[in-house]
Amino acid sequence: MPKSQYVDPKKAFEPGFIHFEDIPVCQYNKTIEEEKKIYSNEDLMRIYRDMAIIREFETMLNDVKTKSSYNGVEYNNPGPAHLSIGQEASAVGQAYSLNINDLTFGSHRSHGEILAKGLSSIQKLDDKELYDVMKEFLDGSVLAVVEKHMNAGGNVKELAINFLLYGALAEIFARTTGFNRGLGGSMHAFFIPFGIMPNNAIVGAAAPVALGAALYKRSNHKKGIVVANFGDGACGRGPALESFNFASMDQITKLWNDGKGEGMPILFNVFNNHYGMGGQTRGETMGFDMVARLGAGFNPTQMHAERVNGYDPLAVIDAVARKKKLLEEGKGPALLDVVTYRVSGHSPSDSSTYRTPEEIQAWKDADPIPAFKAKLILGGIAKEEDFAALHEEITNRMTAIMKLAINDEISPRMDLEKNPAAISGMMFSNLHVPNLEPDREPEMLVPKEECPRVRELKTKVRTATDANGKPVSKMKVYNIRDGLAEPIIDKFYEDPTLIAYGEDNRDWGGAFGVYKKMTEAIPYHRFFNAPISESAIVGSAVGYAMCGGRAIVELMYADFIGCAGDEIFNQMAKWQSMSAGILKMPIVLRVSVGSKYGAQHSQDWTALTAHIPGLKVVFPSTPYDAKGLMQAALNGTDPVIFFESQRIYDKGEEFHEGGVPAEPYEITFGDPDVKRVGKDVTILTIGAVLYRALEAAKILEEKYGVSAEVIDTRSIVPFDYSKVVESVKKTGKCVIVGDAVERNSVMRDMASNITEMAFDYLDGPVTVVGSRNWITPCFELDHMFFPQAEWIIDAIHEKIMPLPGHVAKNNFTTIEKIERAKKGV
Amino acid sequence: MATAVIMPRQGQSVESCVITSWSKKVGDEVKIGDILFSYETDKSSFDEEATVEGTLLAIFKEEGEDVPCLENVCVIGKPGEDFSQFAPKEESAAPAEAAPAAKEEVKAAPASVAESTAEAGSEKISPRARALAEKTDVDLSRVVPTGPEGRIIERDVQAALDAGFLKGAAAPVAAAAPAAVVSTEPEYVEEKISNVRKVIAKSMHASLSTMAQLTLNASFDATKIMEYRASLKASAESMNLANITLNDIVLFAVSRTIGDFRDLNAHFLDDKMRYFNHVNLGIAVDTERGLLVPTLPHAEELSLNALSTQAKVLITEAQSGKISPDKLSGASFTVTNLGSMGVESFTPVVNPPQVGILGVCTITRRIKITAAGDVSYPAMGLSLTFDHRAIDGAPAAKFLQALCKNLEHFDLLLAK
Repeated sequence: MPKSQYVDPKKAFEPGFIHFEDIPVCQYNKTIEEEKKIYSNEDLMRIYRDMAIIREFETMLNDVKTKSSYNGVEYNNPGPAHLSIGQEASAVGQAYSLNINDLTFGSHRSHGEILAKGLSSIQKLDDKELYDVMKEFLDGSVLAVVEKHMNAGGNVKELAINFLLYGALAEIFARTTGFNRGLGGSMHAFFIPFGIMPNNAIVGAAAPVALGAALYKRSNHKKGIVVANFGDGACGRGPALESFNFASMDQITKLWNDGKGEGMPILFNVFNNHYGMGGQTRGETMGFDMVARLGAGFNPTQMHAERVNGYDPLAVIDAVARKKKLLEEGKGPALLDVVTYRVSGHSPSDSSTYRTPEEIQAWKDADPIPAFKAKLILGGIAKEEDFAALHEEITNRMTAIMKLAINDEISPRMDLEKNPAAISGMMFSNLHVPNLEPDREPEMLVPKEECPRVRELKTKVRTATDANGKPVSKMKVYNIRDGLAEPIIDKFYEDPTLIAYGEDNRDWGGAFGVYKKMTEAIPYHRFFNAPISESAIVGSAVGYAMCGGRAIVELMYADFIGCAGDEIFNQMAKWQSMSAGILKMPIVLRVSVGSKYGAQHSQDWTALTAHIPGLKVVFPSTPYDAKGLMQAALNGTDPVIFFESQRIYDKGEEFHEGGVPAEPYEITFGDPDVKRVGKDVTILTIGAVLYRALEAAKILEEKYGVSAEVIDTRSIVPFDYSKVVESVKKTGKCVIVGDAVERNSVMRDMASNITEMAFDYLDGPVTVVGSRNWITPCFELDHMFFPQAEWIIDAIHEKIMPLPGHVAKNNFTTIEKIERAKKGV
Repeated sequence: MATAVIMPRQGQSVESCVITSWSKKVGDEVKIGDILFSYETDKSSFDEEATVEGTLLAIFKEEGEDVPCLENVCVIGKPGEDFSQFAPKEESAAPAEAAPAAKEEVKAAPASVAESTAEAGSEKISPRARALAEKTDVDLSRVVPTGPEGRIIERDVQAALDAGFLKGAAAPVAAAAPAAVVSTEPEYVEEKISNVRKVIAKSMHASLSTMAQLTLNASFDATKIMEYRASLKASAESMNLANITLNDIVLFAVSRTIGDFRDLNAHFLDDKMRYFNHVNLGIAVDTERGLLVPTLPHAEELSLNALSTQAKVLITEAQSGKISPDKLSGASFTVTNLGSMGVESFTPVVNPPQVGILGVCTITRRIKITAAGDVSYPAMGLSLTFDHRAIDGAPAAKFLQALCKNLEHFDLLLAK
């Protein structure tokens, strides 16, 4: 398709000007008399009530944090509390127009947003729906507490308000009756049945995750919009800016669904409270002056950017309703700069060294809640005494909720002594769900039998050698690329939610040809080229998966993992367990380990990903294993980092009898594979070094009469050591080989584990042969950096069992090791 | 002297390429820049152009052959010239594998069983060797360490045992034989393609590979033409009118509009433009044999009824396969219709050397905002592909705009 988009030099050099539209700044200017025509008295009073509830909730937490007591009830809460006192009007104004289908994502300062969206949803659901939601959530365990102790006389809406306040507070106090069993806490609480999606303690991280939720809606034609809430401080973060661009990219309206023009249904909503912790965004740490200005930099619609008075709930309602309408008309994305202030500071320990008492007082004087009250009295909607009664009721309710949430019997903490697997059981979902939406036909451009890649795969020879033992030519052999592609294309025809994207995936066919000939078969909105925005690529996959979809995203080179560090390490890895198992994360993140491309394009970073709890990590090195592991990854519901090696994409199947089956099959994650049987030494390999290990095994056999058993790890997390331990019990000797730099590698971790597990059977130390602790040099010096067959033999000779007649070229001795470690190389 | 053409190496990792097609045959004249053959790697496909002039003397590699890079593929020279030196050598036996190194009987290091000088208690011994020693009651003081850093390893204990100091050990287990590998044959059916298909394939490919095509999509309010058609239908019999279709109405509107946009009613002939004084409308027809495009000459002179009648005759002739080849050429602009199959927008491919082609799409309901509120109306889509070499985007868009306007106000157009 982009071939049809001709890049015309004439047009490129055409003189002219870029024109900008005026960006509205606080233009809302209605009188109470005009507003009374829009809102009923009940609406206006409910808006007030919601703000007052949030204020009281945050005041309670502030009192607990600063005085260890609220309204006479004592409690000590060591956990975090980033309060939003002052931001209530912004939160309530936003939630007013949103429905259950509309999803909100927030930040570490999101108590107010959770409560506002929850109260809005309670108002919109009928009693039966509301009760069912509460009853079904976590098997009714949260409802049971409020029903027993605060049942509101059978009024379901009032009961639901108690449920909302209790579920959120119990979560903040890390109780098992909290919305996420206490595993999320203050900065991460959420409640999906009300459209309240996870809140994120990493500044700006909500943007790409919310983008993914919008992508889910856009690609699967689901109703509703997505709101990404974050602060002005987050506007300095790459992931936020990447998401603005990703959501704006031309193809969404011009190329997807034949260019029907539906934009990304996302509202980037900045609660602009003037500070990123203590850094003043306007005047100190940023240059945009007003956040709304950013919109003009991202697309010709200027993201419909607007700045509104976040101290006036009705101004916010007006703005959000208009943005929502734009998004529903397919004109997204949108950007709102909601001006507000948090008088309570960054956290209760904030001593406000960065602002003056006069400034705080001025904002207190402008407090949105008394201001709105005055407006309602002026409009004759309620009297002073009505408000007094309302406040008394809210304070009583909050006190009762707090008493429930701190009661260790009613609201216990997770008991890891009685139930040691409580957290470990939530690290992975380990489900087998081949199709995430079986009721819907997958959208494809051609029937499967006409898919060019499917047709090509049918012509491939599925073994490395022919019947006469001659190697099959490179062009005809079914290689690792094919082993990866086959289950992927199969899955596209099976699971309608599957999408795949990354840099140069579509027309280019993936930088290394894994996706070639798929473009003709998969529609744009399921398979597309992402901008060079690794954070947004991985972060959006996380949001996509949270909503119930399955995504394959690609980072091209493993070296780019650093560009998506937070999204891989904090988002993809953690949400299943931080949600107490409520969320699933069916993502395959493909990363390719390079060679020949120097220091920044040749690194095996398995250790980085294996270090982070919550990620599965695999690294196949044969077509059979590539297919079986990809199939298992795509049938599962866990995040998988799928390592590939550019050295061996062309390899045919040399090991599996009968070659690579055409039918789908799975390889169990964690199960290593004996690629060569031996009895004297075990060589355990990670990734492409398998072939160098086999070369070493051949030399050991032929030259030294040593029979090596070669085991391919295939998976790194999870990993079943039993096969390896059995082998080491037999051989007494073990060398672990991989292309990663040796220090702090997966090889080192495995060596330590195997030593522990098979110590009494060892005839020498478990020895690691990894790459040097250097930068990767040029390709011509490859053999001096990456492990070679001779290195493996040298290591055996010097560390485990001297080989008669062998002269080692590499120094694996203890003295040398100490010297290198001392120098840090 | 003759020149050999080799299979180029398209990148360091490419070892061989498959020849997908030959554009020249032996005996053909070859000019510099002519495409000799096409070939593909596992990632992309390429055309090989001639870099010398002459006659194609020999082809060494056929279509479908997997040719190692840098090997000779064909020879260009003067007719009759000797080219035998370039022919591939007779398949000599594959370079014999390096003779296997003479197998030496390698045995474990001969552990000379001598009196150990190591002090008791200070010796290093692996856990495995110690376990063996304990199990067999070997005299450790007489075991000679051969492990790294003076460590007694399993083989040392074993050697001591073998030397007859103590009990013997079990024989080693033989390694299992490696599994055999069996290949599978791919299954498929090949059918020759028809000549019509070949012509279509060639012209479509030529069109897309030589022209700078792009498509503009627009839609118009089809209320008027639908009403007009309904009224025609009602009085067709009484007024002896043909069954005028929406497509006929679009053809009519094109014939009356395109005259004002001579760049589109034209042929692009590389160094010159041929502007037509009449509108010769090509009408794309789907037939059993494939796509045919009969021409309706001087369409702008025909009444709507005459245009409809003549178009039907052409379509019927094309579908029956009896149409004269003369009627399949000479079009100045083409109209194609996928709307009847529900297509909402598409990318028609220009029939060279014409400059443009109009795709007629289906009718969908859309909303427009009027003073009276939001109203739904039938929107018919039009997809205009044009050759950017001949005409720029803005004038092409103006044509599309004018056409939409004329269709929206069809009654006025008829009055002209």
